[in-house]
Amino acid sequence: MSSQSEIVLTRAPVPLVFGFRWSVGRMMEKFIKTLADRKILGAKCPECGYVYVPPRWRCGKCYARIAEENLIELSGKGTLLSYTTAYVELDAVGNFKDLDKPKVIGAIKLENADSTLFMPLGEIKPEDLKEGMKVEVAWREKTKGELADIKYFVPT
Amino acid sequence: MRNVAIIGCGQTKHSGRRRDVNLAEMVGDAVWNALEDAQVGPHEVDAFTVGNMQGFGGVAQPEQWLGDWIGAPGKPVLRIATGGSTGGCVAQAAFYAVASGLYDIAVATAWEKHSDSKEPGATTGLAHVSLGNTLNMINFGVSFKHLLSMVAAGAAAGVACYQAMYYMHRSGCRVEHLDMVAAKDRRNAANNKYAHLQWPGCTPEDIAKTKWVAYPFRYGHICPASDGASAMVLACEEVARKRCKKPVWIKGLAAYSDEENQIMSEGAGGIGILDASQQIGATMSAIKAYKMAGIKDPQKEIDLAEIYQPFPSQELMFAERLGLFDEGTAWKALEKGETDINGKMPCDLSGGVNATNAIGSSALQRILECALQIMGKAEEHQVPKEVHNAVAHGWGGATNYIAVTVLGDSPY
Amino acid sequence: MPYIKEQRKETISVEGDWDVGGSTTWKHSTLLQEYAQGLKEKKIIGSLCPGCGKVIVPPRNICGRCHRKMDEKVVVSDIGTVTCFVISAPFAKGQAKVLGMDPVEIGLVEEGERVISVYVKFDGADSNVDTELIGVEPEKVYLGMRVKAVWAKEPQGRLSDLEAVEPLKD
Repeated sequence: MSSQSEIVLTRAPVPLVFGFRWSVGRMMEKFIKTLADRKILGAKCPECGYVYVPPRWRCGKCYARIAEENLIELSGKGTLLSYTTAYVELDAVGNFKDLDKPKVIGAIKLENADSTLFMPLGEIKPEDLKEGMKVEVAWREKTKGELADIKYFVPT
Repeated sequence: MRNVAIIGCGQTKHSGRRRDVNLAEMVGDAVWNALEDAQVGPHEVDAFTVGNMQGFGGVAQPEQWLGDWIGAPGKPVLRIATGGSTGGCVAQAAFYAVASGLYDIAVATAWEKHSDSKEPGATTGLAHVSLGNTLNMINFGVSFKHLLSMVAAGAAAGVACYQAMYYMHRSGCRVEHLDMVAAKDRRNAANNKYAHLQWPGCTPEDIAKTKWVAYPFRYGHICPASDGASAMVLACEEVARKRCKKPVWIKGLAAYSDEENQIMSEGAGGIGILDASQQIGATMSAIKAYKMAGIKDPQKEIDLAEIYQPFPSQELMFAERLGLFDEGTAWKALEKGETDINGKMPCDLSGGVNATNAIGSSALQRILECALQIMGKAEEHQVPKEVHNAVAHGWGGATNYIAVTVLGDSPY
Repeated sequence: MPYIKEQRKETISVEGDWDVGGSTTWKHSTLLQEYAQGLKEKKIIGSLCPGCGKVIVPPRNICGRCHRKMDEKVVVSDIGTVTCFVISAPFAKGQAKVLGMDPVEIGLVEEGERVISVYVKFDGADSNVDTELIGVEPEKVYLGMRVKAVWAKEPQGRLSDLEAVEPLKD
């Protein structure tokens, strides 16, 4: 027996899944449920005026408390600040998989909001994308009050 | 090295399911409560130390999420994870930050959110922690019966079961004493508005009626898995004397780690420690902390203790290790009522970890509760005597991490 | 139980699953393999520290106290002493699952059986082995009890070859 122990590899031979269910808190819950009405809510800080979307109850800039009455409705229209196109995605076990169609993700600043949203873009060819172009939200057919109600953003 | 004082404390209510908030909101609540208590503005804080055990709540690098909920942007943030003693080490790291002279005001915050895991309580986190060893043993053909016998002992209590057996064998303590400690902790927790398991008027007979989990522990002995956060503001002497009416001085602290953890070491190898209740780390850090604090006879000079005791046997065992009782006599002192609120050495008047266990937060709460007692702000569970010196203790892993902090009402 | 209960709003959740079984590959040293091979020959192997002279069973590479490499292997006795024990609650069907299986349902334990987990210090070793104690009523177990290893009928070079320990008959 050699004094240097060799390395043995093993995969977990049993089905082992750690599941998590992170509670979202009241502000985020309001945001998610309001998506059913095809409305996007933002939170305006009563002290410094910074508008967050999705809304949050503590301003990250001046740390003032933001209350439910500071929620404002946003138009769903915005500007594309930046974007990227993905051609592969990761499967759950660390391998790259080719995508059938390239996926476009954009950094979007909604009208009257200050924070940036990262959202998929649809109904557009990657080569037609331009910084600064106007985009708006495209809703799911039947909205249910879930994050998936926002299908993607499309050029206006 | 400068003198450092705690000038403000804040907690959230700890309970089994804090699903009215998300993680960032919960920790933010604790930090803002502490800042308000200290009358310190967020822009005055120079450094943050934060901590939790992330396998339990499933968020890796949580400080990246909650940074701008607690006022951290622009400031250094250090995350510390040392098992159960996380909170104690987080507070000690904030002490290092201020005592070194680099920063004047530091905030220490620690938390846990068990309810974010799909499995109830601490199951996911415990599976996470023991994963490597379990898979190693499965790979080399451990029998399911053996795994079962490990799970039967380990599921809720783990090494604490063995620890309790060793302590009971050596000291003469019996299960009835564990009932008494658990009842006292839950009774005390009823007077602490932030605690989790609050049972007003709980008696040892009530605890004795609960089912066995694994001898010597009953269901009534075992700590809960709580959601909650706590935070403290630490400041240098100049700021503390100017801004705080009654600052709490950190007079001595020490942290010792010891040989390997759990029932066997990593890689399922054996461990050298024969007696799981030996806890050399606790004895050594207590000696060092008392020396730094100038305490020569803890039994006479310490007014109260907050001991890290998720299991009642540990309150007795660690109290002896910290020098508060002679070897093997803590259970006798318990019988005489010495650990009650009116006793000679009140232990865990807040209910301790036995009544509230949000893993990251629990060791920080031990220091926080001592601070509240010294400040006179413990409200319903305030001890009815002047508190000059108090000792807080944190325990992590099985023998790996111990953090002992001695607090007092004057820095000398 | 008469604990003070408080009701709080339950906000909705965002879900996520971490497939550990599918996504994780673990690397181990082969020390446990040497140990398991020894069990096949009814030998309990430990590693000897050249510094403090401690024998650790099952073997480890590095001594936890003096930090020296523990390359030398020794065989310890299969007779030892119970240094600690824990008794489970009586098992009932539907009470708990181990790795997704109900132990009573699959016949691993009987309904009402209490499993005794013990730490055994085999003669010659300085550390404990965690195993099961069979052949004795839970009430009769005591610290210091002398026990002997129970070997599997057909050892295969697996950890399960050391099935349990039983009281040593004089």
